[in-house]
Amino acid sequence: MAADILRVENLSKSFSGRMVIEDLSFSVAEGELSAIIGPNGAGKTTLFNLITGYHVPDSGKIIFNGQNIAGLQPFKTVRLGLARAFQRTNIFPKMTVLENVVSACITRQERNLNFRTPYKKLTQIHQRAYEILDSVGLTDMAQRLSGTLAHGNQKLLDIALALALEPRLLLLDEPTAGMSPDERWQTVALVKDLWERLKVTMVFIEHDMDIVFGISQKIRVLCYGNLLAEGTPKEISNNLKVIEVYLGEKPMMDEAC
Amino acid sequence: MLNKKPTPEIKIHQPETKTRHRVASALLIVMCFILPFVLAHMGRTGVYWIWVTTEIIIMSLFAMSLNLILGFGGMVSFGHAAFFGVGAYTVALLMKKAGAPLFLALTAAPLMAGLAAVIIGWFCVRLTGLYFSILTLAFGQLLYMVAFQWYTFTGGDDGLHGVPRPDFLNPTNFYLFCLVIFLICVWLMRMLVNSSFGLTIRTIRENMDRAKFIGINVRFYQWLNFIIAGAFAGLAGGLFAQLNRFAQTEFLHWSRSAEPILACLVGGMYSLMGPTVGSAFLMCLRIILQQAHKGLVEYWAIILGLILLVMVLFAPGGLIGLVQKIIKKKND
Repeated sequence: MAADILRVENLSKSFSGRMVIEDLSFSVAEGELSAIIGPNGAGKTTLFNLITGYHVPDSGKIIFNGQNIAGLQPFKTVRLGLARAFQRTNIFPKMTVLENVVSACITRQERNLNFRTPYKKLTQIHQRAYEILDSVGLTDMAQRLSGTLAHGNQKLLDIALALALEPRLLLLDEPTAGMSPDERWQTVALVKDLWERLKVTMVFIEHDMDIVFGISQKIRVLCYGNLLAEGTPKEISNNLKVIEVYLGEKPMMDEAC
Repeated sequence: MLNKKPTPEIKIHQPETKTRHRVASALLIVMCFILPFVLAHMGRTGVYWIWVTTEIIIMSLFAMSLNLILGFGGMVSFGHAAFFGVGAYTVALLMKKAGAPLFLALTAAPLMAGLAAVIIGWFCVRLTGLYFSILTLAFGQLLYMVAFQWYTFTGGDDGLHGVPRPDFLNPTNFYLFCLVIFLICVWLMRMLVNSSFGLTIRTIRENMDRAKFIGINVRFYQWLNFIIAGAFAGLAGGLFAQLNRFAQTEFLHWSRSAEPILACLVGGMYSLMGPTVGSAFLMCLRIILQQAHKGLVEYWAIILGLILLVMVLFAPGGLIGLVQKIIKKKND
């Protein structure tokens, strides 16, 4: 078994007295494609916010790649190799699609302090940006203002921004939220393809059980800030606790929507 | 879905438009250089207009410096006059009290203003939005009060009068001197805005939270941008002290901070030269109204208010944005 790239130990976080994450511990193996599921308000997004440093945990450790990153600011966690895409599209709407990715590439290569060379003339960075756009299928839209893209494509751009950071661990918060069924499966196929090609560790939050059980190697079920269960899709679908609390009935794994 | 070959196609500017753009800019610059010589032959009105155009150049520089943080950085500062004033007082103090030469004083002005921005900016970038704006205002007024109270050093309410001017700087030469400095600054700012740093600043403006999540140290770059803007404002202030041959507390006052904001709004915040167009437009309009009828100046605030109202409602891109829109429509 591969080494753990992320280890969460006894993590707790409360907002105005309400425990959102309570004494949570789990670890993610390097190279894994895993999902986090759970009912609304289970603390899934908060968990991502804690890992990436958007929130500071009340207690507990977040060990990423051997280093405790709990409470480290987002831009620092990014530099250590942690990237994330958002549930609600989070891009730079008045910049072109290309500029969005170029900006991320410039930051990845720490060339923000170049005051002289026009960024449009950084050929190597533009090549890299086009590679990334190509990998999510947005090359044709490179020159469009990103705010004018259709919702599904904005979500893809959000993922592209994360990819530009060449992360070791990629956190995807509902990558298919708000998409049509067709787009969903295309995006899922893309995510899986990226995972296979880039050999990056991925953790995603998803509500669509067909997707979750279709592609993840491991599933973690979160409930009221606690880890309810952890295991392979098969183990989870047979876990009585999970069925009772969340799934309601066994998911039909063969029936796509 | 995936097409494998990257197809870089960059066609934002057609090469023709670019050449036309360059020729037009070159012509405009040449005209700016010829202008004072024409005006010098027009008697007293001419000399007056040389003075006015010099002031326009300096105020344009001031407005452009603000636009680095306002338009490109998305940070609304109500205290930019602080750096303008620091620059002005630096020149006035160095030249009047220490007898320093003009070039030394004008080098010190942006440095001192930059230093002030280092300190003020360090606090201000910790806040965002309205809180940032209010804190800049507070710091600006703080400096104003210091200049007001510290009579022995700043001359208090009287200001510092009689700043010496080198003999070779007659009105025409001073105009040309300011124009050259202005053009160098425009060149520098243009480089800055188009650089990786410029893109980083725009990225922060567009979505501060997301910028953090692509690894940008938001506060640091905002701070740096604030310092650069402050330094340029200091240079403008230094030139302004030399133009008027005095520095006074009014240079630091918050009403002075409003002028470049208005110029940016009217001219266009999202283009490099917008603030220059705005400054020139507002200052010329004011003088023309003043000369048309003395009473009109009393209504200046109302006229200004109406202009702003129209601009904000119908031309959020300012005059430059308006012209661009018209040209685009024509081409279509």
